[in-house]
Amino acid sequence: MRFFSALIACVTVLLASPGARASVASDTVRADVGGIDVVALRTSVQDVVNVVGSLPAGDDRSPIDDVMLATLTGAMLDKGTRAQDKFAIAQRLGGVGATLSFSVDTNTLEIRGRCLRKDLPMLIELMAEQLRSPAFSEQEFEKLKVQLQGAVRQQQQDTDFRAGDAFSRAIYPVGHPNRQPTAEQMLADMSKTTIAAVRQFHEKYYGPTGMRLVIVGDVDSVAAQAEVRKAFSGWTGGSLPPIATSVDAAAEARTEAVFMADKTSVSVVLGQATRLRFSDPDSLALRLGTRIFGSGFAGRLMANVRDKEGLTYGIGAFLSGDSFTDGDWRIQAAFAPTLLDKGLASTRRQLDAWHAEGITDAELARARSELAGTYQVGLATSAGMAGTILAMLNRGMPLEFVDEYPARVKAITRDEVNGAIRKHLDPATMTLVKAGTVGTAGAPAATQPPVETR
Amino acid sequence: MKRAIAAISMAVSLTAGPVPTQAADTPAAVPGFKYVRTVGSISEYTLEANGLTVLLMPDRSAPVVTFMVTYMVGSRNEVTGTTGATHLLEHLMFKGSDAFNDDKGNSVKQYLETVGGNYNATTWLDRTNYYAVVGKEFLEGYVAIEADRMRNLWLREEDRQREMTVVRNEFEQGENDPHQALDVQINAAAITAHPYHHSTIGWRSDIENVPIEKLRAFYDTFYWPNNATVSVIGDFEPAAVLNLIKKYYGPFPQSPQPIQTIYTAEPEQQGERRVTLRRAGELGIVGIAYKSVAGSDADFPALNMLGTILGSGKTSRFYKALTDTNLTLGATASAGFFHDPHLFQVYAFLAPGVEHSQVEKVVLEEIERIKKDGVSDAEVATALGKYKAATAYGRDGTFSIAGNLNESIAAGDWTLYYTVDDATAKVTAADIKRVANKYLDTKKSATGWFIPVPPEAAGAAK
Repeated sequence: MRFFSALIACVTVLLASPGARASVASDTVRADVGGIDVVALRTSVQDVVNVVGSLPAGDDRSPIDDVMLATLTGAMLDKGTRAQDKFAIAQRLGGVGATLSFSVDTNTLEIRGRCLRKDLPMLIELMAEQLRSPAFSEQEFEKLKVQLQGAVRQQQQDTDFRAGDAFSRAIYPVGHPNRQPTAEQMLADMSKTTIAAVRQFHEKYYGPTGMRLVIVGDVDSVAAQAEVRKAFSGWTGGSLPPIATSVDAAAEARTEAVFMADKTSVSVVLGQATRLRFSDPDSLALRLGTRIFGSGFAGRLMANVRDKEGLTYGIGAFLSGDSFTDGDWRIQAAFAPTLLDKGLASTRRQLDAWHAEGITDAELARARSELAGTYQVGLATSAGMAGTILAMLNRGMPLEFVDEYPARVKAITRDEVNGAIRKHLDPATMTLVKAGTVGTAGAPAATQPPVETR
Repeated sequence: MKRAIAAISMAVSLTAGPVPTQAADTPAAVPGFKYVRTVGSISEYTLEANGLTVLLMPDRSAPVVTFMVTYMVGSRNEVTGTTGATHLLEHLMFKGSDAFNDDKGNSVKQYLETVGGNYNATTWLDRTNYYAVVGKEFLEGYVAIEADRMRNLWLREEDRQREMTVVRNEFEQGENDPHQALDVQINAAAITAHPYHHSTIGWRSDIENVPIEKLRAFYDTFYWPNNATVSVIGDFEPAAVLNLIKKYYGPFPQSPQPIQTIYTAEPEQQGERRVTLRRAGELGIVGIAYKSVAGSDADFPALNMLGTILGSGKTSRFYKALTDTNLTLGATASAGFFHDPHLFQVYAFLAPGVEHSQVEKVVLEEIERIKKDGVSDAEVATALGKYKAATAYGRDGTFSIAGNLNESIAAGDWTLYYTVDDATAKVTAADIKRVANKYLDTKKSATGWFIPVPPEAAGAAK
């Protein structure tokens, strides 16, 4: 499941590029280790190693009538292996303060680990064991289902989640990976998923093919790769990410209200599908224009809707969901119910002006200057650097792109930015979703059928 | 399911400062500054002209600097009618001065976003901090603006009006979350006299109505050099940065009056307290708050370790007794690290169909088990391993170091950044059993239940 927090992270990762080194690409050691793409980079941090990875076993692999299968499979990885139970694994990790987690999003199984330098071999060994030979205990599976049912229900309390969730169904057609299933479908499908189906999913999609590991921090890159080779030796299978196809999205304006009782703030999403992927030619120009419009306190949205008019605590704009497939562009904000109409009107004024008139030379100059500084500051953490490298590689970009990114952005002209805004966005056909104590109690949360098909 | 899992495993961990990453530089001799001491990698100086405290931690691993000023003013300095004022004032600190403002194109946000700085400000119970991480060549420009707003802020009524609705929306967003709303209620029930009674965001009516004159009085009481600590972490030369600080902060006098101290002490609690929050929602929450100690108290490290053993990860007591049995989606325990005695808080997030009373009973049984039988040496070793690793993770970047140092400053002694580490390493199983018995006293607790009303019922009631 792809959620807001992940989407916001996509925005920051672009500008969280590492610096303070001649070249990330040249300092990085990269190798195919038994089919796994392993990237290692030593940084100045002392004693800490961050490991992030991905495997193309995300929700887009789930069958149309079993939408939680990928999530359930990923969540079973830390419930014990054929060699040891979950408490033994937790004790080994916890005893040295190491962390290792698996989570499933729209396109991938995400792997995140962190440990002290001395514990990296153990971390990789446990990671391999959990990925390769999960126990898939029936008892643990039934426990997990209860936990996930609770988690799905808990999400329903969150206005930000509900707005983004409904937005995905409003702008993406049935069959698009970014379209989220309803809570009702998730709960219904989960109740009938079997451990046998989980085993089959694991057998089919888990393996070195398509898997990527990025190891950054106080690490001996060559030794780390040797640890990966040892731990994953003999593992076979896996699959490359599915080839994404653009699907025609809704092209007419619509407004939806998701009624939630007793909420003091209304979450709002306004946007559209773009049919753009990160790697598409116009993507960078549109990102730069969007940054000027909707990022930071000096961006147009915050400077006007918040600072000048005092209508919201937070508002921003960003592109999302475009790493593996075509994504969307959206404004995300929150307003008091009494200021909702005024806030939306102000937001639309800014949107219309930005779309019609484009960015100015001064804004472009400031954005370029900002980028130079951010490039320098963004090196600050090894965790951030690891995430940036993985995100770029998963977007189909070469490692060199991390180094070239500032120069590429600096080369973008004002005309290119304004051309991309007008070519790919149309405020007149954007979809608006409001979630909170708005609309009518008892009205359907979204005008979608209760059962999803991909 | 990333977001959901994160939401149900809200482990609150307090990470004290990292161990020294490198030897401290030789103390810089700069006229106008008094060298005070060096602990770990941090050297302390005082600007003699006005009493400003300066902490320097050179770290030349990257060409960036984190500059942070911490004012010893938080929501503990507020009274009825001004709750939330510290935070509202923090927002107004971005509205400009004669020298630096939006119209001139050199406001703090315009400058920092132009140079690509990572910046913000935060307010909490004991302190307010303003910070930026910038390329080292941009440091002086930021110090000039940051120093200027210590005494030259505009503080205009029209800005208060506009910012009030911004802050009120921040309050509203917090109230949207049942956990946050319950936390406010439990704190208010647990702490009655001390100003930790109210949350940092304040009460809605105070946010809406506090007059600009009271905000001005707040500013003129607390925003002085002798009530502030400047911390600089990163790639700089100590003498050069001290001269920079003297240049921009030196012209300000110390406060005309001594900085007010808080003399209100929480009276002894003589019986358990309970609160209930009923509103639309899906799943229940049980929270229990026990009277605890200040961050500087000798018992804090043992209480912190107790929190880890009870509520951190799959090895914890609560995971095994509550989450692995499908009574909860997650359960946490933590000791607040603050200037004055605060709370040891437990939160349990109920699984579907589980009764509050059942979860509360198990929580109390687990606590009683530790009070009676203590914890094992293996549990202590695991908790210490987690602590030491978290300490190392806190070294990953100058901003992370600043964030941890900030809380030690707020607790009243920046050297806690190091000394809590030393004390934690010495905590024994006997210490943990002792503090559990001393502080986890039901008669000195406040218990809160969030009882969700089915959305349909809540909606129909409107």
